[in-house]
Amino acid sequence: MIVGEQKPIGEIKQILSPYKRVLVLGCGTCVKTCFAGGEDEVAVLSSALRLVFKKEGREITIEELTVERQCEDEFIREAAPAVSNNAAVLSLACGAGVQAIARRFIDVPVLPGVNTTFIGVLEKQGLFTEECLGCGDCKLAVFGGVCPVTRCSKKLLNGPCGGSRAGKCEVNPETDCAWQFIISRLEVLGQLDNLRKYNPPKDWRASHAGGPRKLVREDHII
Amino acid sequence: MEKNFKPQITVFHCINCFSGDLESSIPSRSDGVLKSVKMACSSMVKDVFLLRAFESGSDAVIVMVCPEGQCRYVEGNIRAKKRIEWVKKLLDEIELDGRRLSLHPIDSGDPDAATGIIGRVLSEVSALGPNPAG
Repeated sequence: MIVGEQKPIGEIKQILSPYKRVLVLGCGTCVKTCFAGGEDEVAVLSSALRLVFKKEGREITIEELTVERQCEDEFIREAAPAVSNNAAVLSLACGAGVQAIARRFIDVPVLPGVNTTFIGVLEKQGLFTEECLGCGDCKLAVFGGVCPVTRCSKKLLNGPCGGSRAGKCEVNPETDCAWQFIISRLEVLGQLDNLRKYNPPKDWRASHAGGPRKLVREDHII
Repeated sequence: MEKNFKPQITVFHCINCFSGDLESSIPSRSDGVLKSVKMACSSMVKDVFLLRAFESGSDAVIVMVCPEGQCRYVEGNIRAKKRIEWVKKLLDEIELDGRRLSLHPIDSGDPDAATGIIGRVLSEVSALGPNPAG
């Protein structure tokens, strides 16, 4: 899932300063799971903003709404009446959601309330870790299902570097050594021979180096 | 401090630490207004409930929980504690002062302890002054 973190209230307050009617729009998918922009976070942020603006003697009306997914037009449509009631939308979705809302409601300022951070997993309640860079050329089959591009601080495709200690990275001792995981996993799978193969330099053209990417599935387009 | 300031306090409490009607179980006070909200477990106190108490004019919010290790649902009071720490930081961030929110473990059915906590909070919030967003 996409992991994000709500922006500090001070920054949000600044972003909202020109507006008197604001819709705080949540997204009920990824950012809900990481406690950044679901229904609960919309309620808490809206309440905090009402308190802070009241304290400063500023009049602002805040409307709250959460749609299932801000990155899909089907779900965005239900926000139309609320968007038209307000002077601006503070979106608590990831960057894709913010842009999808901005594209749909072209004459309304759509502002980000969340910093989108990474593609990751929920390791345990309240702990999210980065697992994928979205590089567009997945080699997890070679590395026993552990991505060195994302999880090795040096992005080594032919590791380990030799700098790890007790399974921890020398760049940051709080980071687990991805190559330790790769070796352990390959051992369990009986695929340690994978380590004898040379992995050529990564072709980054499939990643951001080639500009924004597009996925076309002709069979789903009418 | 404003003259004639009569703090309004909202108490969220777990029914397992205090099952009775709080307002009628403790001596009434002339120096503050008390409002209580019962919960099946302190873990049910969501962040937004605490903030809305401040939005509705509370000068201080108290959450009474069972002592650690005595939660009927094992970890409800620990969840409440963490949530309250989070909201205190948020109150500081919006300059409402996190000291207006406090958590207090209380032994089951101890009105004297509850009276003492409310008295202490009343005097603390009297020093802080009215809720600036109230």
